[in-house]
Amino acid sequence: MNVQEEIKSLPLFGIPRLLPYIRKYIPKIVFMILLGFISSLIDSASPLFNRYALDNFVAKGTLEGMSVFLAVYFSLLVLYVIENFVCTYMCGQVEMCVDRDLRNRAFDHLQELSFSYFNQNNVGYIHARVMSDTGKIGVMVAWRLMDIVWNGSYVLCVVIMMFALNWKLALMVSVLVPVVALLIMFFQKKLVVVNRSIRELNSTITGDLNEGIIGAKTIKALAVEDRIMDDFRHDTDKMRRTSVRASRYSALFTSSVTMMSSAALAIVLWCGGYITMQGVIHIGTLAVFLTYALNLMEPIQWIILTVSEMIMTQVNIERLTRLLDTESGVTDTPEVIEKYGDTFHPKKENWEPLHGDVEFKDVSFHYPDGEEYVLEHFDLEVKQGTNVAIVGETGAGKSTLVNLVCRFYEPTTGQVLIDGRDVRERSQLWLHSNIGYVLQTPHLFSGTIRENLRYGKPDATDDQIWEALRLVSADGIVRRMEKQLDCNVGEGGDMLSTGEKQLLSFARALLADPRILVLDEATSSVDTVTEKAIQDAISTVTRGRTSFVIAHRLSTIVGADIILVVDDGHIVEQGTHSDLMSRRGVYHSLFTRQYEELAWDHISLLQ
Amino acid sequence: MVVYFLRGSKRYFAMGMILSLSVALLDMLGPKIVQYTVDYVLDDETGVSGIAAWALAAAGGRDHLRTHLYIAAGVIVLIAIVGAVCRYLYRVFNSMGAEKLICRMRDELFAHILKLPVSWHASNHTGDIIQRCTSDVETLRNFLSEQLMTLFRVGILVGFGVFFMISINPALTSISAVFIPVIILYSVFFHNRIAASFLKADEEEGKLSSIAQENLTGVRVVRAFGREQFERERFETQNQGYTRMWIRLMGWLSAFWCSNDLISGSQIMAGIAVGAVFCVHGRITVGEYIAFVSYNGMLSWPVRELGRVISDMSKAGISVDRIRYIMNSDPEEMSMDPPSLGDKPLDIVFDHVSFSYEEGTEVLHDVSLTIPAGTTLGLLGATGSGKSTLVHLLDRLYDLPTDQGTITIGGRDIRELDRRSVRKYIGLVLQEPFLLSGTLAENIAITEPSEPDMKAVREAAEVASLDDAVSRFADGYETYVGERGVTLSGGQKQRTAIAQIVMADTPVMVFDDSMSAVDTRTDACIRRNLRERTAGMSVILISHRITTLMQADNIVVLDHGRIAEQGSHDELLSRGGLYRQIYDIQTSGAET
Repeated sequence: MNVQEEIKSLPLFGIPRLLPYIRKYIPKIVFMILLGFISSLIDSASPLFNRYALDNFVAKGTLEGMSVFLAVYFSLLVLYVIENFVCTYMCGQVEMCVDRDLRNRAFDHLQELSFSYFNQNNVGYIHARVMSDTGKIGVMVAWRLMDIVWNGSYVLCVVIMMFALNWKLALMVSVLVPVVALLIMFFQKKLVVVNRSIRELNSTITGDLNEGIIGAKTIKALAVEDRIMDDFRHDTDKMRRTSVRASRYSALFTSSVTMMSSAALAIVLWCGGYITMQGVIHIGTLAVFLTYALNLMEPIQWIILTVSEMIMTQVNIERLTRLLDTESGVTDTPEVIEKYGDTFHPKKENWEPLHGDVEFKDVSFHYPDGEEYVLEHFDLEVKQGTNVAIVGETGAGKSTLVNLVCRFYEPTTGQVLIDGRDVRERSQLWLHSNIGYVLQTPHLFSGTIRENLRYGKPDATDDQIWEALRLVSADGIVRRMEKQLDCNVGEGGDMLSTGEKQLLSFARALLADPRILVLDEATSSVDTVTEKAIQDAISTVTRGRTSFVIAHRLSTIVGADIILVVDDGHIVEQGTHSDLMSRRGVYHSLFTRQYEELAWDHISLLQ
Repeated sequence: MVVYFLRGSKRYFAMGMILSLSVALLDMLGPKIVQYTVDYVLDDETGVSGIAAWALAAAGGRDHLRTHLYIAAGVIVLIAIVGAVCRYLYRVFNSMGAEKLICRMRDELFAHILKLPVSWHASNHTGDIIQRCTSDVETLRNFLSEQLMTLFRVGILVGFGVFFMISINPALTSISAVFIPVIILYSVFFHNRIAASFLKADEEEGKLSSIAQENLTGVRVVRAFGREQFERERFETQNQGYTRMWIRLMGWLSAFWCSNDLISGSQIMAGIAVGAVFCVHGRITVGEYIAFVSYNGMLSWPVRELGRVISDMSKAGISVDRIRYIMNSDPEEMSMDPPSLGDKPLDIVFDHVSFSYEEGTEVLHDVSLTIPAGTTLGLLGATGSGKSTLVHLLDRLYDLPTDQGTITIGGRDIRELDRRSVRKYIGLVLQEPFLLSGTLAENIAITEPSEPDMKAVREAAEVASLDDAVSRFADGYETYVGERGVTLSGGQKQRTAIAQIVMADTPVMVFDDSMSAVDTRTDACIRRNLRERTAGMSVILISHRITTLMQADNIVVLDHGRIAEQGSHDELLSRGGLYRQIYDIQTSGAET
């Protein structure tokens, strides 16, 4: 979580950086600004009607011209309303369209970014870039902009009108404007600081809640409720005090603005009163001045608030443009794209079939965010149909080889060859279309079972789907469901158990009929029957294919053609099960330890 | 429940109400003064009576005021100052009340959650509970401190406004007052109509958000199946639908705002036009006309606000229900200051204990066993055989129903002992321990009431073989761990939990498979250290690893909730039962 907020200072609030994305809305925005200006003009002119009424009807004691007056007044009101409607509607449109375009851009860009980006940034962070930054930017280029236009032009119009009516009186009222502005800025600065600490405290409290709930069992077992509660009370009390302080500032802030309005009112009444008595201005003009004096301060307050919000949005602009500017660590060369097409426009007609030979040739590799080499001058030849198992402790770096085969990363030096040709000579999409991947934590998408199974083969028929389900013995699971293939699996497949998800993801991989299969085996404990079904499924899907199995349960890979043992990021042993057992090294001790647990399964299977 | 939460903050809200009353009153005085200034001072109207006449006389009469117009200005500034002070105090009191209220709500909720039984926690989603404790609490706070206060404030404002306007001219007032209910009703009607669309738009946003979420979490699947194009289309379609929906909603909103503008604009216009007519006919004075137009303008915004607030208020009801769900869940009975059960180990006896989490599936069946004071019991069994349940019952994390046997400590039924007394007496190391945010030292010494004694912390860490790992952290014992700190490996967490219990120095210690993530060598080392440290204490060891348990005084083998066999290691071996089979496989299996 990024609690700390960076305050970035970009030229012109960072708007120039957004230009490429909002260019096509500029005519609309210009039109909106124009409309906004007109509406402020009407807004600021409306007290003049009151003045006209005062000077022409009330003062003269006649109702002559009343109907014309009303007609003009009303038609201006209607014009104002219609024009305002168009303006706000367009503003909403621009907001949503900019929002949409930015989201699409960000999403598309993410589809092409390499895995190093996903490893360095967690999902929550990236998700916030796509969903929340874009929204804030949309609001800024539409509403914040209009706020400034509306309020700014209103203040401008009012000041001009006042000067036109009586410049001396106008000058006296205008003196207050910079005072108000300075006052507001002073409080605004203080408020920003307090509000930041409120946000921090808020996330602390949410963290406390989270801890109290997830850790409930531990807290009870240790009988430390009183202590946890004290800490929580401490945080909520701090929050209370800070919030009250914040509202003190904001109360001072608004009170001082209203006081300034009253000061303006007093000036007008005092000085304006004198000149009215002297007959310099009419009573109607005085009334207009009174209205202006009262209404001038609030827009100034809004302008300053808006500016400070725009300053805060700069962080969002910065983060989003940084994402859009990030270049993928793995890209196809122009020649490859020319021949095989890119991610969104594949030229499938030029794709060669993939046979399934994989070779590592003098590969050295370190991750982009690390210095240490995890592979050095590594050679390995995997003929079509070979089963390769990769074993090791959790976090030992078992995924590295698989990442290279899938070209999620590229070797620092050396080559990975597929069917004898460097993997870089063909497009990523070509390779990925031929690879099946079953994850350790099976990932299903929300939607029906059918949609999920078709993920790797969009044109699969129901018969083919059932066949695949049968092969991994998952047909029973689906048949038991009321809607069968149309059953909704929920978000992330929540409606299914882990074991069921695992089996379905096997079926999905099988349907895609890949030449190379990657399995990241499950560590999660499933019941013995499901465990057996999964193991059978594994042997079914790997048969006849080049496969890489990242294994946690060693019993499943005893029969693998090659076992690679990874320890602390390096491949330390390599060979078949019996080779490695007789060596009595890392593999032997891993295997021995797991056997203790396996003993129980063994016995329950015997029973 | 709401009343209960309001305890302690009511007086602030009461003060807030009084102050908002004064603010409204003072706001209303401004136009009045302008009115008198215009009529009495600038013009030659008479007919001023009552307080106003007295005030004018006190200020020195018309002629004096004419030459000293600053007096009127001074009065306005004075009223403004008093008004500003009242407004300031109103906001401060209101926020003190609101913050007190939310603070109390949070504290009460959290205290209640801490008291809720483990079974409750197991059956409710963390995210959902947190949502209830954060956004629902926020909604309720807003309802009480913002919406109700706004209702009150606007009500007062409208009341005063109408009163002052009537005092100027009732007939004139009726023309303007007609608009007030119209605006409120229109606003409420609109907001209620649009609520469903907002909900729908929120749902659409949720869908869009989860497409992005799923794409990001499943990025490997997307790439490995080469479905980037498909994902892009899916996202763009949803994005387009969502955007279109919002634009339509924006259209509705703009239409609403603008039609509202039209209504309040008409209200102001009607005030001006009819006011002018009245003035020309001499039914009101010029000053009264100005004051009336001001009042009329002052009311239009608050009234529009009122409509929005009224329609928003319905949301609070839902939040109250959601919070009530937590507050009405039955907590465990426990005292915050439980009587100690002493620091001597006592005999622990399970007598015909059966237990099921839900109807029908019995996890423990008729288990009877004794742990004499100062001995070590080993519990062996497969996953799901009921080992953890047994110790959870002993620690009163789950309650043993009255007719399902008894568990006694020193001859006393644990159901009659205070929960927290039992838990302080028994040190239980959970299978998957949870570390709280804080330093490693704070975590190890969590059960200590005062500042941790670093020497004792270090000793405890040594017993748990954690010292090696700690020395590799840059900050040593000051390393910040937990959700918001350094992530420890499963083995390190388990060892920290062991150190916690060693530090707590309880007479009974239970290790629920707490070395499963620790390698065999360290496991042996910890057990040796513990044996020295726990000499004379009662210990329960749970494991499926025979080497962990073989030195226990008594070993119980659990199989599907029943005791399959029990005895010492040698006895069990010679018996040739389940224990023997497991032993054979675990010691020789690896060789085959």
